[in-house]
Amino acid sequence: MRRQRGQFVAIGVTIFLGVVLFGASYDAYRNLESSYKEAFAELRFANLTITGGDTKSIAGTARRAGGVDHVSTRIQADLPLQAGRTKLLGRIVGMPANAQPSVNRVSIEAGDYVSPNQPRGVLIEQHMAATFGITPGDAVTTLDASGVPHRLRSIGTAASAEYFWPAPSRQQIFVSPDDFGVLFVPEPLAGKLAGLDGPNQVVIHYSGGHDNSVLTRRLTRIANRDGAADVMTQAQQPSNSALQEDVSGFGELAVLFPLLFLTAAALATTVLMRRLVTAQRSTIGMLRAEGFSRGQLLRHYLSFGLIVGAVGGILGSVSGVLIAGPMTDAYTRELSIPISATAIRPATIIVGVAFGLITGAIAAALPALSASRVAPAEAMRSYSPTKGGSISLLERIAPPLRRLPARWRMTLRSLGRNRRRAFSTASGVVLALVLILVSWGMVDTVQILVERQFGQIDRQDAELTYQDGVSAGELEAVRRTAGVDLVEPALNASVELAANGERYQTDLVALRRDTQMHEFLLEGGGSTTLPKHGLLAGEALRGKLGIKAGESIRADAPALGIDERSAVEGFLAEPLGTLVYTTLASATRASSGSIGDGNSALVRFEPGVNRDQMRRRLSRLPGVSAYQDSVAIQSAVDQYLGLFYVFVGMMLLFGGMMAFALIFNSMTSSISERRIELATLRASGAPHGMLARLVTAENLITVLIGIAPGLIAGYAVAALFMASFSNDQFSFDLEMRLSTLVLSAIAIVIVALISQIPALRAMRRINLAEIIRERAS
Amino acid sequence: MTEDEHTTEPLIKLRGVVKTYGEDAAEVRAVGGVDLEIKAGGFVVMLGPSGSGKTTLLNLIAGIEPPSAGEIRVDGVDLAELDEKERTRFRRESVGLIFQFFNLIPTLTGSENVELIAELTGNGNRTREMVRRVGLAERADHFPSQLSGGEQQRIAVARALAGAPRLLLGDEPTGALDLETGRTVLRLLRDVSTELGQTVLLVTHNAVIARIADRVLRMRDGMIVSDEANPDPLPVEDLEW
Repeated sequence: MRRQRGQFVAIGVTIFLGVVLFGASYDAYRNLESSYKEAFAELRFANLTITGGDTKSIAGTARRAGGVDHVSTRIQADLPLQAGRTKLLGRIVGMPANAQPSVNRVSIEAGDYVSPNQPRGVLIEQHMAATFGITPGDAVTTLDASGVPHRLRSIGTAASAEYFWPAPSRQQIFVSPDDFGVLFVPEPLAGKLAGLDGPNQVVIHYSGGHDNSVLTRRLTRIANRDGAADVMTQAQQPSNSALQEDVSGFGELAVLFPLLFLTAAALATTVLMRRLVTAQRSTIGMLRAEGFSRGQLLRHYLSFGLIVGAVGGILGSVSGVLIAGPMTDAYTRELSIPISATAIRPATIIVGVAFGLITGAIAAALPALSASRVAPAEAMRSYSPTKGGSISLLERIAPPLRRLPARWRMTLRSLGRNRRRAFSTASGVVLALVLILVSWGMVDTVQILVERQFGQIDRQDAELTYQDGVSAGELEAVRRTAGVDLVEPALNASVELAANGERYQTDLVALRRDTQMHEFLLEGGGSTTLPKHGLLAGEALRGKLGIKAGESIRADAPALGIDERSAVEGFLAEPLGTLVYTTLASATRASSGSIGDGNSALVRFEPGVNRDQMRRRLSRLPGVSAYQDSVAIQSAVDQYLGLFYVFVGMMLLFGGMMAFALIFNSMTSSISERRIELATLRASGAPHGMLARLVTAENLITVLIGIAPGLIAGYAVAALFMASFSNDQFSFDLEMRLSTLVLSAIAIVIVALISQIPALRAMRRINLAEIIRERAS
Repeated sequence: MTEDEHTTEPLIKLRGVVKTYGEDAAEVRAVGGVDLEIKAGGFVVMLGPSGSGKTTLLNLIAGIEPPSAGEIRVDGVDLAELDEKERTRFRRESVGLIFQFFNLIPTLTGSENVELIAELTGNGNRTREMVRRVGLAERADHFPSQLSGGEQQRIAVARALAGAPRLLLGDEPTGALDLETGRTVLRLLRDVSTELGQTVLLVTHNAVIARIADRVLRMRDGMIVSDEANPDPLPVEDLEW
């Protein structure tokens, strides 16, 4: 092992990286699950949230149901907010003024809980407080249901399990923190602001906090019977759903990436061990001749793999679990989750060490077996070229290659000389590319789809919300504002869709039929315009309601007075949300004219305007209750991707290291195996530079052979991985830029060139006289 | 250097050549102050037991390694003055080497092995001629693993001659061969010496081979202990061992 320490170290490092990745990511994954569980338990995060209907009756029934341990009712309403000069979409959530609610409690991060002594004192959700720098004592303004402004005072900052990821709905997972905020207000104040006499929401917590599908079905039936507008499970809750996707993705990576590393390490070990056994063949024969048993030799060579596996496994396991804690802390801190439950799990350490040992053992098994089968007579045999040469496959495919200079034919044929080694190198390239492309594919997909959503589909620069509906005069005022290029009315409303016994709560968006603010991309490709009658819907709706294009569904939007059957004319490929679209004319007709010109204005700016200035100008216009900047949403996504970039950078580094370890080992073995040939050529006057070029060319051809399948495999695995993220909230089908594939391939080639440097150096150091003396003796 | 000078100056001239390995207590003196001159065109055999320093001396003459002390001139070139790159060029242009275990490239056919060195030395057109000279024109498209030991060594001879070297050096060229194939290879070497005027220097521990040489050098403990001309070399066919 000492003679090949560089190669064994490379393998050890690969095993170490694989086990570290496993230990760190798996434990971090488990820690995150625990953090969520503990936070959910402490805050009694609702297992079921029922909105609308006869809340008193629903709550009463729920309290009596077995398996329910806490039920709470509250007021929740979406009302515009103003923090400083910024107008944003807001939500008020009623809280008992004297004590925390029994369900959906909040964690007080600063200041105090709401109190009957401060009837206008409210808690600011932590993300909003951080974005606008609101501290206890600061003022925020909200408009009540009638559009009357109310100045409220912050008495504290709160974290809520419902808003760990601050998403207003399943359809709006990505919102800019400038555009959405939540206030927890005393229940009497909530009623006053929302214009409601009593609670409009029931939140139910099951015994032990565990989901219970039978209970959920039963309570859903009761809620529907009592006229509930929406029933949402804990799994469907927007924040939880988004974070669970994230955590489960993390869990998948915790297995996938270590597997890649351990496979690479196993391949490298096999290559190295085979070389070792070949080089020591006569010694093995001598040992066999002197009475060493096959079992002894098998154990001896197996021990090489086990030692390197144990070292990599132990160091990797311990490092992994030590890294998992800070990783969990960083993640929970980034998402402002109040509880970070970290633990050292002995099972992870044991499994990590076992992974290292198993990898080493499997990799060394075949070479060790081969060593144990060496006949004693091998000790007596001298060197001769036992492996037959042959014309290379490339020369057979392209006969003109046979006219290449002899040295290049030698290079081509060397590729097939040790097929296992060439396979191992090419496999290393494939594995490294899978690692890189899965990581990079995630970033590409999110970036491309966000660009598509906010660049191609949503064409507006900003959306102005008018709580009381937008009038023609108000639209005109927007149009006349300096910097505005185009303005259109639009309507956004909550709608429940139903078909085939299935129901789906989403948002209805009504636009002009000739809208220039939205492009309707069809799922099969191409685009369409809004149909004169009927709806266009996000593609996930097909599965949700079990419908086909052309079939009718029932659309119920109580706020608009709409309750009618409409045909779904087509399905749209939209990355974010599963919305339904119709024309303003159809919506007005269905609501018997009650909605006028809609409740928002979509605005496009003139090129080069200052967006902050536009926010200020447009927010000041009469009737505007909230302002959403499309670019700000993109920035929010980019910010979210910041973590991804770090992750991808690490994976690129790790992928590079993995490729390095494999190519380095293959190259070193290759040079070592051909030491005498190279020495002969050097003795015959072949310059080192020429031999280095030949070896480099051979190595690069092997790498290039691996690149094509690597790109295909990487793309396929990335596609599978991304598919696991697709649901009705976001449809993240893999999108990969051509430049990503090209740059990944270039990165691998660069790594290959770097990884052969030690072998080329070793080649330069070949002592011709020593080799010739060795041969002579 | 003029043609006349070639004829009067020895092809190989060694003065006080020393080669040591290791340092201080671990120092080994492989060659301990050798003076030697070999004229062009002869067939010289250097005899000596294992460890006598004959292979080291061969390596020094071939420019494979530099001497620790002394002067080595081959074809007028002072090898001690050359750096690694220059020695490589010297070997390419002036020396043909034959090894005990043939050292053919297993992925190239016999003729391609010859072609490789012929191309390297800018003598690509000599491949066919050299293969024919060693009597393997029919078998030259076979890979080394498909050739017998004797055939492989004949290809190795062709390869060594492919660069039209001034000096052909062989390190136990028959050491891995049986009597008959050994004779074939020696006949070939003797022929190229006689017919082409090629200078051949072989090192071997097999004293029998010395009988076909024009000149016999004997080494022991890093020194040349005898230097004898053989005015009546034995025909190769008469060799027995």
